[in-house]
Amino acid sequence: MKHFEHVTAQSYEAAAQALTSYKHAQPMAGGTDLMGVLKERILPDYPEAVVNLKEIPDSSYIIDEGDHVAIGAMTKLCDLEQSPLLSGGLKAVAQAAHSVASPIIRNTATIGGNLCQDVRCWYYRYPNSVGGRLMCARKGGQECFAIQGRNQYHSVMGGMKAGKTPCTLECPAGTDIPAYMEKIRENDWDGAAQIIMRVNPMPMLTARVCPHNCQSACNQCQHGDPVSIHSVERALGDYILEHRDKFYQAPASLTGKKAGIVGGGPAGLTAAYFLRKAGHEVTIYEKMEEAGGVLMYGIPEYRLPKHYVRDLIKALESMGILFKTNTEIGKDMTLDEVKSANDTVFLDTGAWKQPILGIDGENLTQFGLNFLVEVKKFMSRQIGKEVLVCGGGNVAMDVALTAVRLGAEKVKLVCLEQREDMPASAEEIARAEEEGVEIVNGWGLKKVIADEDGTIRGLESMRCVSVFDDQGHFSPSYSHETQVFSSDCIILATGQKVDTDFLGSRYKDQLKNAKGLIEVGEHKDTRAPGIYAGGDAASGPSVAIKAIRDGGIAARSMSSYMGFPIEAAKAEDSFLKFDEEKVSVKKAAVETDTPVGERCLDKEDSVSLTPDQARDEAGRCMNCGCYSVNASDMANVMVALGATIKTTKHQFKAEEFFSSMHAVDLLEPGELVTEVCIPKWEGYRTGYSKLRVRDSIDFAITALAYAYKEKDGRIEDVRLAAGGIAPIPVRLTQAEQVLKGQEKSRALAVKAFEKATETAVPMKENHYKLQEIKTQMIRSLEL
Amino acid sequence: MSRDLTLHINGDTYEFTIGRRLGQIPESETLLETLRERIGLTGSKMSCGQGACGCCAVLMDGKAVASCITLTAECQGKEIVTIEGLGNPETGELDPIQEAFLEHNAFQCGFCTPGIIIAVKSLLNANPNPTEAEIKEALSGNYCRCISHFQVIEAVKSILKGGEAG
Repeated sequence: MKHFEHVTAQSYEAAAQALTSYKHAQPMAGGTDLMGVLKERILPDYPEAVVNLKEIPDSSYIIDEGDHVAIGAMTKLCDLEQSPLLSGGLKAVAQAAHSVASPIIRNTATIGGNLCQDVRCWYYRYPNSVGGRLMCARKGGQECFAIQGRNQYHSVMGGMKAGKTPCTLECPAGTDIPAYMEKIRENDWDGAAQIIMRVNPMPMLTARVCPHNCQSACNQCQHGDPVSIHSVERALGDYILEHRDKFYQAPASLTGKKAGIVGGGPAGLTAAYFLRKAGHEVTIYEKMEEAGGVLMYGIPEYRLPKHYVRDLIKALESMGILFKTNTEIGKDMTLDEVKSANDTVFLDTGAWKQPILGIDGENLTQFGLNFLVEVKKFMSRQIGKEVLVCGGGNVAMDVALTAVRLGAEKVKLVCLEQREDMPASAEEIARAEEEGVEIVNGWGLKKVIADEDGTIRGLESMRCVSVFDDQGHFSPSYSHETQVFSSDCIILATGQKVDTDFLGSRYKDQLKNAKGLIEVGEHKDTRAPGIYAGGDAASGPSVAIKAIRDGGIAARSMSSYMGFPIEAAKAEDSFLKFDEEKVSVKKAAVETDTPVGERCLDKEDSVSLTPDQARDEAGRCMNCGCYSVNASDMANVMVALGATIKTTKHQFKAEEFFSSMHAVDLLEPGELVTEVCIPKWEGYRTGYSKLRVRDSIDFAITALAYAYKEKDGRIEDVRLAAGGIAPIPVRLTQAEQVLKGQEKSRALAVKAFEKATETAVPMKENHYKLQEIKTQMIRSLEL
Repeated sequence: MSRDLTLHINGDTYEFTIGRRLGQIPESETLLETLRERIGLTGSKMSCGQGACGCCAVLMDGKAVASCITLTAECQGKEIVTIEGLGNPETGELDPIQEAFLEHNAFQCGFCTPGIIIAVKSLLNANPNPTEAEIKEALSGNYCRCISHFQVIEAVKSILKGGEAG
């Protein structure tokens, strides 16, 4: 075994002290579980020290406390199975202890250790020495291998989240993607809408423009195509827009507070939505004729038809958000005027300014973003024959494709970066090439070659040898090699800058940072109290979904600032479910694309999935989490018998303690279980049934802990908890309801079983577990 | 920092220090490793290494435990008895359980036998007159690949009160 330090604690306090004095230390009771974990190096974190709890005086006891029996955490299982105190109503405790492993193990294993043991899933426990440990979701890795692998001993009730899924982590807004996918599988589109709109009020727009990094993190990439998340999102976004009356409702009550939003881009609109939802009066000051920012003016119609943006604005207006368009702050109104008209202000003025590169003839070129804004003007006149687009980002791609569709004979794109380093998404690059854009990598701008009358002849470029310096900062270096690209129209899409002039000199000094951006803190607060900022103006040019995240954070901060904190929406706590058939489909369903020849400037390039297609695609989502089952037999009995788990710091009801997949996760550093107290259940017939392959050593395939109060064949009261069916012990309250007050019979037990497993979702290889639960339910009645 | 460790094994006392230096017992060493590789008591066998097969069973304060998942560092003050310690060291006489196993050919390859005998000893320490069901239960953590179980049960039954060995 790999070395660790070893401390034998003489008290729980000393143990806590020892445990917290190391970065990573592990308490050891009997050690029968932990020694295997350490020997096989199952977990990526190996403890620096092991703290032995066995020698703590007075930690092993079974005491009658009147209405309950108290058991010390270091009490060995062999002592529990034989204790005269664990009879009558507590027979289930002795039976469960007796069912654990083998006598050799029970001579060492303790009740405290049993309650805190780690999971026995064969993927989780896969030994590191045999080809490396498996990093499953539960270990902070990727997926649950049971979803598409062998799963005969896994959960039949669904899984549990093991932290945030990779897709959610990739999404700047932290969208709970698997949760809305699950609702769509259930055909509950309203439920799905509510989940996505917790963080993003405009999925119909983001689905169309987002680079969807969520998809590159999708665990289905290990098996085939990633889930086409954006396609499902798009169908959901379309649904939301179709039923906008339902999803963009005016608040039921008003707070009387006012928020002013400067700039109606994605961040501003998002902040407006959440602030309005919270009951504030919201005014958006928009410089342009219409709100929407880059989504309205910078993204070409074929990628994002403007009617979607307009419909969203209409929906937001219907909530009571006021839009003051054609109102430019710094010109038509000052920021001070906005501030005095509102209680808080949010700045979302974007990054629209052309950067000055300082090359000869720069004034003859066009600015990419302006080109996109003014594309309508170009539609009526001739674009150059040989268009040269400079830049390697998504704006450059949009510009290049727009130029192609405007009828340019030849469109060439040059950029500093090599192909694999281009900031544009691979899909966008592929699309540009598909439509004939020629991409030339590794060239920087030197000067524009033009006739004296200003007619452009071409661009002289220099070879770019590296784009970033050693520290990773943008600092291109060039060789002496030059090349001339012939062109009669040069469009620069080499980034956009933030213009802070609108702030006026006083605010500019206060709010602007060295990078030329508006400085914001973690809560999107600026240096001026009551003024918040987000989107590109605060972070430089970036993607819409990041601006949406900013808008959400700012709305919460602003509402709190005005005295109305917004409560975070709570995620549902039911078990995770997936579609056992569709999850193994390797090919993703994506939007139907218009053939290259038919693509144009004023119609969307692709057609959304139908709701049924989207549901099928959502079926491919694995709903990543942990689908293992709880290992501890004693835990099942504790839940059934309503025990209390005492630690050095807290007391937990058993159901609460075992609501976490690994109960110790609930504990503070150094906190240790010290005692369990079990009510005596006098007059109850209790027991523990455990089914497994071999009658010793094996963990439960399914287990049932039960307590019945019966009179003349009638069940007066009952408590049931099942093990081996879910990642945690499951109290079968619905079955209890069926049984209570009824005459005992086989038919009744079957009815209780059916109720208990109503929401069961067995996996491919473990449907048999349901039959086992049924058998245990019948046997527990002792008919 | 090293600390002293005194082990009582088969009636003998062994003085060690715990530490990482040559000759010291590292904190992570298992009792089975100490027995086999330091003291030369190779009767206890290493098989599954997880406490599941019973081949490494030794008596700790009279009860069978899996020495492969026991840290030597935690054995201070415990009475350890291995298969080598069951017989009488002076007369060389075997334990009645060992005699019964020989008598009944209660093994084939013999690899698991030391663990099984220790488990029987543990059972009889607590319960001198077990039923057949209790014997089977007590041996449920000892696996034998040669299927010696039938003879094992016969051998154990033979030494109980009223059995053939009296």
